Amino acid sequence: MFKIFANSGPVVYVSPKVIFHLGNIPITNSIFYGWLVFIFLISFLIYVAHRVKIKPARGIIQLIEYAFEFIINLINTSFEDKNKAKKYQPYFITLFLIILINNEFELFPFAGEALKSMGWPLLRPFTADLNATFAMAAVTMGYVYYSSVKESGGFRKYLGHFFVGSPFNPLYLIIGLLEMITDLTRVFSLSLRLFLNVTIGEIVIGVFSYLGHILAPVSALPFSLIEVFIMALQAYIFTVLSVMYLAIVVNHASDKEVQTA
Amino acid sequence: MFLATTISTIMIAKGLMIGGGFIGPGIGIGLIGGNYLQAVGRNPEAAKFLGQALIFVAIVELFGLLAFASIFIV
Repeated sequence: MFKIFANSGPVVYVSPKVIFHLGNIPITNSIFYGWLVFIFLISFLIYVAHRVKIKPARGIIQLIEYAFEFIINLINTSFEDKNKAKKYQPYFITLFLIILINNEFELFPFAGEALKSMGWPLLRPFTADLNATFAMAAVTMGYVYYSSVKESGGFRKYLGHFFVGSPFNPLYLIIGLLEMITDLTRVFSLSLRLFLNVTIGEIVIGVFSYLGHILAPVSALPFSLIEVFIMALQAYIFTVLSVMYLAIVVNHASDKEVQTA
Repeated sequence: MFLATTISTIMIAKGLMIGGGFIGPGIGIGLIGGNYLQAVGRNPEAAKFLGQALIFVAIVELFGLLAFASIFIV
């Protein structure tokens, strides 16, 4: 006998759960699904890379080409110098594809309550884990800091970007220090935004399929369709914001060269 | 007799958090969307800046999401 009406509330998970141990290392459901998605992503992109031709092929390859061109155009319009933009394209395309595919795999029916192991869901989206998004944001911001120090030519010149005028003016000093603190919070805002959007999307779909009782597919459908859009939007926003953080410093540095020349 | 024997202050706190925390982002997203449509109405070439308007939606939305996330730790 299957139950038609649920008699318990919607099941909501905010944190990933340990599903098995590899030796002594606990493996959570989010990293497990992340590995599966990474294997899929790498093999799929290798398949696509062997089939890219000058004359465009039909089918799913065009979608990947479109995603590449979308991010390349985004980076080219953000940077003033096209040669500098070319250097940073590979990292941000990788970032965009990883977040996009991981986000969209949240919406498959086998992710979540369908498959269980040790009482917890076997598959949980990789980006619905604060550790994963924090790691992504930390690596991205580390790369941005490293590149901006390199582009502005020395650590002292990089710090000089934060000050409008001379740092010995007390007002400019306070504004510059505040700018530095704002800069350090970017790691947290990037990671929290992605994590909360993915997690809350999952919770919203769970709550509305619970409220729908027997009509759960109908009540959850509009939210699932919105989530397809929001997941792609979050991948775009994560990429755009990290490109902007880098572009501010790089454009600033090239501005000064033009003025002195 | 409608006297409650116990009052769940946690539920009240969660309700206030959600209600209060979403006021700001609601107003903010409304302003962004309204100003975007106004700009498009005056200057139809501005329609291509939808992507940039969405970035500000994401920045504003974060504060609402923080309020939503904090009901799980109360």
